[in-house]
Formats: sequence, C-alpha cells, structure tokens
Amino acid sequence: MKQKIPPLYQGTVTKYVFVESYKTTPDDLTSRAYEVSEKVMIKETCFGLQITGEESEVERVIAHIRKIDPSHIFVKDRGFPPGDPRRCRANLGGARPGYFGHEFEMKVVKWVSKGIEAINSEDPALTLPLSSSVPEEPPLLDLQKLKQIIDAEVP
Amino acid sequence: MSEDLVRIAQLSCGPEYSGVQKEIYTAAEAVGAEVFFPDLSLADIRRNFRDFGLDVRSGDLKLAIARAVALVEGSVEADAVFIASCFRCAEAAIVRNELRRYIHEHSSLPVVSYSFTERTTSGTLLTRMEALTTIARRRALLARERQVGLTMGVDSGSSTTKAVIMQDNEIIGTGWRPTTEVMGSADEVMALAFEEAGVKREDLDAIGTTGYGRFLIGERIGADLIQEELTVNSKGAVFLADCQHGPSTVIDIGGMDNKAISVNNGIPGTFTMGGICAGASGRFLEMTAKRLGVDITELGPLAMAGMGGDVPMNSYCIVFGTQSLVNALAEGHSKENVAAAACHSVAEQVFEQQLQEIDIKEPVIMVGGTSLIQGLVRAMGELLQTEIVVPHHSQYIGSVGAALLSSGFVEKN
Amino acid sequence: MAKVFIYPATSLILSDLVARFGHKALGTALSIRERIQTAGLDSPPLQMTPEDAKRGLRWAAVEVPSGVRGRMSLFGPLIDEAEAAVIVKHADYAFGCMGCARTDELIEFLIKQKGVPVLEVEYPSDEDTGIAFVRSIKAFLKSLEGTHE
Repeated sequence: MKQKIPPLYQGTVTKYVFVESYKTTPDDLTSRAYEVSEKVMIKETCFGLQITGEESEVERVIAHIRKIDPSHIFVKDRGFPPGDPRRCRANLGGARPGYFGHEFEMKVVKWVSKGIEAINSEDPALTLPLSSSVPEEPPLLDLQKLKQIIDAEVP
Repeated sequence: MSEDLVRIAQLSCGPEYSGVQKEIYTAAEAVGAEVFFPDLSLADIRRNFRDFGLDVRSGDLKLAIARAVALVEGSVEADAVFIASCFRCAEAAIVRNELRRYIHEHSSLPVVSYSFTERTTSGTLLTRMEALTTIARRRALLARERQVGLTMGVDSGSSTTKAVIMQDNEIIGTGWRPTTEVMGSADEVMALAFEEAGVKREDLDAIGTTGYGRFLIGERIGADLIQEELTVNSKGAVFLADCQHGPSTVIDIGGMDNKAISVNNGIPGTFTMGGICAGASGRFLEMTAKRLGVDITELGPLAMAGMGGDVPMNSYCIVFGTQSLVNALAEGHSKENVAAAACHSVAEQVFEQQLQEIDIKEPVIMVGGTSLIQGLVRAMGELLQTEIVVPHHSQYIGSVGAALLSSGFVEKN
Repeated sequence: MAKVFIYPATSLILSDLVARFGHKALGTALSIRERIQTAGLDSPPLQMTPEDAKRGLRWAAVEVPSGVRGRMSLFGPLIDEAEAAVIVKHADYAFGCMGCARTDELIEFLIKQKGVPVLEVEYPSDEDTGIAFVRSIKAFLKSLEGTHE
C-alpha cells in the first residue's frame, strides 16, 4: 500500500456480471460482450465479468449479454475499477470482506433463478403466496387455557 | 539479527471505516513489517466461528474470530498478530479480549490489541508495531540472560532520562536526570554513569538505547541496538527480579503512558500501552506531590502513613482528579490520606483501563520511577491481591534492559 | 423509477432484482465509487478518512464508535435519497461495509423512521422460498411504479 493511487477511470462505472448456470460460462459472456462493446473495458473473472466504461455504454453491453441466459445472469455495481491494488487479493493477503458476501449469495442465487423463471410464467391475476414475513414472537399462552391444563392435571 | 519482512496478521472491525487503516499500514511499514488479512473460504469462516463458540452478530467480528482460529491452527502463517476494533464498542471489546487471550494461550505468536478512534495516528501505533516486529525478529537476542563485556544502556523517557553501565552482569554506573532537551539530558546522564563506573566512552563494547528519544540518541552516539521500551523493559524487569524463566507480569506506570506486559521466559506475549489520561500516570502523582508541597520522593512514605479509603478521589481525568485533590485538602483531610488516595486512584485507573487487557500471572513486577513510590505499589498490590516485586534499580529498568540486550553485539564488535 | 435502498447494501441479488424490475438500487458501491474517483484522497483501502467518521455525526452521536459513524457517512446519504427499501433480514454473513451489527441496526431504524415503503424478506433456502422471494420483491417494486415517476 505504499504507492499513492491516482483516481482511475474517473467518470466511469464498473459493474459485476455474475453467472450461475450449467450451460453458460464466463467465457461465453466475454465473447458476447465483445460482440457489441466499443468503449468499455471487459475483464473476465472466475464468476463472470467486470465491465468498466461510461454508464450508458456499460448498460448497453449488459442488456445484450443478459439475453443469453436472463434468469441466470446477475448484475451489480462495483465501487472499485478492476484490478485495483487496494482491493486485490494478492496485495491484501486475503480476500476483501465483500468477497465472502458474494460467496454466500452465489450459493443462494440458484433459488432466485428458479424464482425469476417461475414468475415469468405466472398469471398476474392470481394471488400467490409471498415471501413469509419475519417471524413474530409466539403468542403467550391464554390464561383460561393454562387454567384448563392445570385443572386437567389435578387428580 | 534478521531484518526480513515481518508479516503481521490483522484481525479487525472498523479501521477502514474510521479512516485509520492507512495509519496501520504506515506504522507497519515504518518498522519493516507488512500487514495482511488471513485468507479463508466462507466454509472455513462458518466452521471456525462456530467452533470458537462466541456468538457475536457483527460479520466483521465473525471474520476476525475465524481468522484467529486459522492462525492458531496454523492453516495461515504469520509472525505476529494485531487486533484492532473501535473504541467504545462493547461487542468488539469482548471479541478483542477473547481473541488476544486465545492466541496467547494457544500459540507462540506475539499479539497486541488496540481500540482506535478516528484520531488514532501511525505515531501512536508505531511502538506497538515495533515491539511486535522485535519479538518476531529478535527472539534469539531476547533470550539473552546474562550481560557480558562493558555495555551501556540509555533510556530516554518522557519524564526522565536514565543511563546504566554494566560490566560482566553487574551494574557499575548509573545516571538519572529529568528530561529537558533530549540529547542534552542524555549527555548529562551518560557523563554521570561514566564517572561512577570510572570508564570512558571509548572503553564500551556496545551501546543500546530505548524510550521516546531512542532514535535521536541512538543515531548520535552510534548505538548498536535501538529498541522500543516494551521488549527492553520486559527484559530488564525479569533480569533484575531474577525471574527469567516462566511467566511474569511487568507493570511500568510511566510519566506519559503506562505499559502492562504479560511476559513468558523474558519475551512479551501480550501487552498494552497507553492510558486514557495523564490522570492514570506518574504525572498525576507529580502534581499531587507538588500540591502537597513535598518532593516526589517523599510522596511514597507519606502515602504509606495514610488511609486512602477515607478520601474520595477519581483521577480518570487529570483535571477532575486535581479538583478532588483540592477539595479533599479544603475539607481538612490529612496530607497522608490525600497522598494515599492519589496513589490508589492511579493504581485503580491502570487496573481498570489496562490490566484487563492482559493476563496477570505472578510474579507481578513493578518497574520505572513510579515503582519507588511505595504507596502506589501497595495500592496496586491490594487491587491485584498479590505481593508486588520491585527489583533493585527498578527506576533504571529500560537502561538495564538496553545494556543487557546490547551485550549481544559485544562479540560482533 | 424509484430509488430503492437495499440491505445488505452490497447484495448482488437485491441490486440485480431492483434493476431488473426497473428501479435504481442504492447500494454501497455508489458511495465507494464516489470516494475512489475523488482526486486528492490518499487513505487506502476505501479512501475513507477520519473526516468521514466526523461526517457520520449527522446520523450518530459522538459517543458512537468511529466505525459506525464512518459507515454512516457511506449509508446516510443513500438513506436520505431513498424512496423505498428492500431489507433482507438475518443476513448473517454480510461483511465489510455491512460487517458491523450496530450500524446495521441503525440503518434499518433510520430507513423505517423515514416512512418510505419498506419490504422485509429473508434469503431463500429452497425452490419454493426462492419463488416467493422473487414474487414478493417484484410485487413490492411494482407497487412503487407511478408513485415515483
């Protein structure tokens, strides 16, 4: 961390493109991205791509590659440009904390893919179960009921 | 002595967000060390966290716990460990303490824990980082138990400057002066020590320096060893107290900051350094002596004749502590009782703020100038419920340690 | 299109779903990007400085640990901007920006106190909960349409 790092890629955005699929690989995404990319930088990673450039251009490329496998491709913003030494595993000695968050979500994301596929074929007119809300505390035992239990136990 | 890069594993929560991570990097670089974050998989994090058994909620603390387990198990290698979390966070304080203890008990890695605020600077962290690297790099030197040849140690502290000349494992000359101008005070104490020992500068086989002015003095006089006071004082303490083997605890209440060091075979395992306010330091006792109109050397016997429990005094902050002092005198309390209360208050601050961060193992050795204030030693002994050892020449602890350790360079010279 | 604050603010799944269903996700990356692209800052890794902890005083008092206040300087402006929020409860393995439980509690409180629509869900654990998860988020985001043109 000795060197002072000048702000890189000012005015650009970087987006992660993750793919969790048995039929689409990061390599497939890269090829498709290059088909339409003009002014963006594309970096292939183990989980997908990082795309850096002007926001409208990055969005255009992402819209193109999402078409390959819409329910298995996921996108998010990244604060750092790719390969930034402040965030690079090689420099830190270990993964940056956010990486573990990715690792966790990539294990869950297959169920989200199922969800995306399912709702695309749903009839919007139907009322279907939503995600359960956060569990409330169990209700206290009713006093009358408690009395009945006690009475039942008395010989 | 190897100057290889020392790899310090960082276990932390919050420094990036407090703007102090750069300060940690800077302090480590200044002492030729590199801070790194132990690499784990999410599965390792889950397993290690579960196995450790401390069910905290913060993700970064879970990560710190998992990394500590990996260090102890040896799946990640490091030379030392730095544990850091935000000051005033209760959850992190529990983790910080338990990890420090766990690493200390289950590995030979030197470990230091620190709670930072956004005001923490690399300068504050420097001595701690330096001590970690000294322990990692100089284990062979720190294992030295006897002084050989003719060597001198100079300790430039915030309040006083001390010099000691040793020959063949005996102290033959000493010098002591209040610190004014760093180099000037050092010249004075060296002259005193030379005179008492009856030797000259050119007769010396090696020199060591320690304390705040160690770099300046060390470079001016061409010292063989320039080393922070945590390791040097530990060594000096176990040498003078004649307990070089096994565990011990060294307490040094200094003029500006306090050191509490958990030592094993003369090498620090865990340590804390600092203090919230000068109210927990020798400075408060100096003020007390001045206000009572006695010399600091008279404060100890005065306190021994008094009963501290009769006077309410809390020197958590030196300003409020001084107010208590003034009020106590105005209420007609005796000088003896006020002196005893001041000693008790300083001991209590050190006990509450610092001694909780290390493992107290007997013998407990008190060193430094304040160890000569018997009232303070008694108060500390009462709090720790143990008999405190104050070795001879305890006020020269840093100089003795530096003279002893620098004799490792005698044959080389 | 509504600006939707997401928690965990680093979540890939929430970022994606919010954007996929036509809204703008407000996550930490936006705050970090701003710092990384500001010239003159030199405080790796996140270019956060002690000034950030002081800026955090707007959302948390001075006795609150510096790491909480520093994090609040990342999240506070996003909460100010938010027109809605999606919160995943029990996100136990969120680290880094979301790694402090006390900050997370404060964020959740502030977003609820703001009075914007909030959806609380849990991470799915099988196919059925996955479907319900996506359906809930889609329905919530759809309900925002028209109110934030």
